[in-house]
Amino acid sequence: MARTKDGREPAARSASPDFAALLDSVRGIRWPARSAVRGGIPGAHTSRMRGNSAEFTEYRPYRQGDDLRRIDWKLFARSNRAYIRLSNDRAILPTIVVLDASASMGFPVDTLGKWNLAAQLSVGLSAVARNSADPVGMVIAREGEMIQLPPRTRQSVIYEMVRAVSELTPRGSPPLTSALDAAVRMSGRIVLISDFLGDADDLLASVSRAVVTGKEMHALHIIAPEEIDPPKETLLVSDPEDPDVRRPLTGDARDVYLKAFSAWREQIAHDWSEAGVLYSTAIVGEEGADHLIRRVTAPRGISATA
Amino acid sequence: MTFLAPGFFFASLAIAAAVVALHFIVTRQPRAAIFPTARFVPDLPATATAKATRPSDIRLMLLRVLLVLAAGAGLARPILKPSRGKEARVILVDVSRSSKDSAAVRDSVRSLYRNHDVIVAFDSSSRVFSGDSIESLHFTRGRGNLSAALIAAMRAGSSLRNRADSVALVIISPFAQEELDAATDSVRRLWPGGAKIVRAGAREAVVDSAQPPSVIWPQTGRPAGAIARANRDTVGAVLAGNSLLVAAFERRWSYPADSIRGAEVVARWVDGEPAAIEWPTGGACRRSVAVPITQAGDLVLRADYKKFAAAIFGDCIARTSAIPASPERIANLAGTGGLAPREAFQPRGDIHSSLATWLLGIALIAAIIELFVRRQRRLVASESRQSSDARRAA
Repeated sequence: MARTKDGREPAARSASPDFAALLDSVRGIRWPARSAVRGGIPGAHTSRMRGNSAEFTEYRPYRQGDDLRRIDWKLFARSNRAYIRLSNDRAILPTIVVLDASASMGFPVDTLGKWNLAAQLSVGLSAVARNSADPVGMVIAREGEMIQLPPRTRQSVIYEMVRAVSELTPRGSPPLTSALDAAVRMSGRIVLISDFLGDADDLLASVSRAVVTGKEMHALHIIAPEEIDPPKETLLVSDPEDPDVRRPLTGDARDVYLKAFSAWREQIAHDWSEAGVLYSTAIVGEEGADHLIRRVTAPRGISATA
Repeated sequence: MTFLAPGFFFASLAIAAAVVALHFIVTRQPRAAIFPTARFVPDLPATATAKATRPSDIRLMLLRVLLVLAAGAGLARPILKPSRGKEARVILVDVSRSSKDSAAVRDSVRSLYRNHDVIVAFDSSSRVFSGDSIESLHFTRGRGNLSAALIAAMRAGSSLRNRADSVALVIISPFAQEELDAATDSVRRLWPGGAKIVRAGAREAVVDSAQPPSVIWPQTGRPAGAIARANRDTVGAVLAGNSLLVAAFERRWSYPADSIRGAEVVARWVDGEPAAIEWPTGGACRRSVAVPITQAGDLVLRADYKKFAAAIFGDCIARTSAIPASPERIANLAGTGGLAPREAFQPRGDIHSSLATWLLGIALIAAIIELFVRRQRRLVASESRQSSDARRAA
């Protein structure tokens, strides 16, 4: 079993994610950019740039400053006018997964269902992006530090990600905003995987700024079924990120909780969709990780769903 | 062991059951669990009422149950149930002025007495004697009252209820006429069975029946043997034998103790002070009456006055106390039927229970210990809460 950096074994996981099977199941999936990407290194996504590739698009009159080598001399001979031959460019889209490793993601405590699903989604989406020759990286917000795997295209990057998420146990209440800001600086497509129980307001403000600058933002809201339908027995529930929050979950309190939690989820979905984020919910155990990945990467299927 | 007031004990059983039930229904913090979305749970006091499979504090619960049961049992007045025999007797012994003080009476009592029997000596009042104190029976100059003695026999029968299956009534008396009154037959019928009649020797009359008593009843002057009262007062009635005369009398005289010594009281004021006394004088008797009779008004014409006067001028007490009752009345006293079953007697409610004192003492001690245990438990809970808060704060 992998050990944490401080030598301790991670918490027992009754349903440890099978990354190999997941990587197999997402092998053929493509993940096109939602809009033309800024040019640069040739890749699989439509670029905003017009280049001189073999895929002809149109002619444009020569303007001072254009490269003389791009003038179509045959057309110039026939028309005595100088035209530039234009073609569509393809470019890569660096993709970074921002993974929330706060204590609330380690729920349920015995199965770590939320964390396992988040880890599978982060690795699976990274693999899909890398299959399109996009550089992929990962930023993990954990207590006390921020683990960064810069975007790379080499084969081993996926295994580095698998190792990184396998060695981690969610704990603490790390700020996710700084991890997101770091990811925005490094990539054009950011996937945020979180339960949004931390600094959600700051996160939304940061995401809004990134969307304005043309970044493609995806948000995956991880929810445990126990959070949607808590047990009916009376419990004294405590917030793992805030020990001061200790409240009795009785029959009457349960009804109030269900209403409040449902309203909060609707509010999150509304706000993030309004901000231009491709928002999706992922309920543990309700849908397989590969299906969720197909839903997220579908060209037209992505929509903000609560 | 049995209870004289079992209702208290049954009530304490119910309360103890409720106490035990309350210890199973405890208000405490429920099981703690990690819940990331706990912030959406309403912020209420972090306690809840839950049914526990085990009582919350066995030591405290046992103390409370002991307290309730001991108090209930104490108030229920427990008595140790003696072993029950087949038959017991209530022996009524006449020690009044009608009886002849003789060893024959004591011998009769001694021969009749067995273990668990009750001896009731009576004259105008009744006293219970044990079998060991038969020799201490002494005869008095009081007038016998069989009605009061039979009431005392009923009470004695109740006390024998738990000692015997059947209770017999034995009356040892000369059965003088003056000992029976109008209520005697009715009271006798209250005894649920027959009675064994043992005739004792009557005191011999020393008074000549032909000579009437010499009555000294001055209208205004000082009666014989009386002295003037320091403070005159008014009294509302006077009683002689069975004759009651109700009127406003000015009480001027009183009989000092020296005058009463050796004399018989013939009449008494309603407050118990002698109003007329009698001394034996050879073959007759002499009476002194301190009841002022005014000539004004119709008092002397009233029927109750005539009865009163007849009692005052009646036969000497020494003679009347020796007149035997009629055979019919004695037969009525014997009654019919056999032994009285124990169930016919009401359980006694005035039996002293020494166990009750001990049980109430135990209840008091349990209450004090419960108080200390409860305070100690609160302190421990408070310290635990403080340390928990400190850990959370850290």
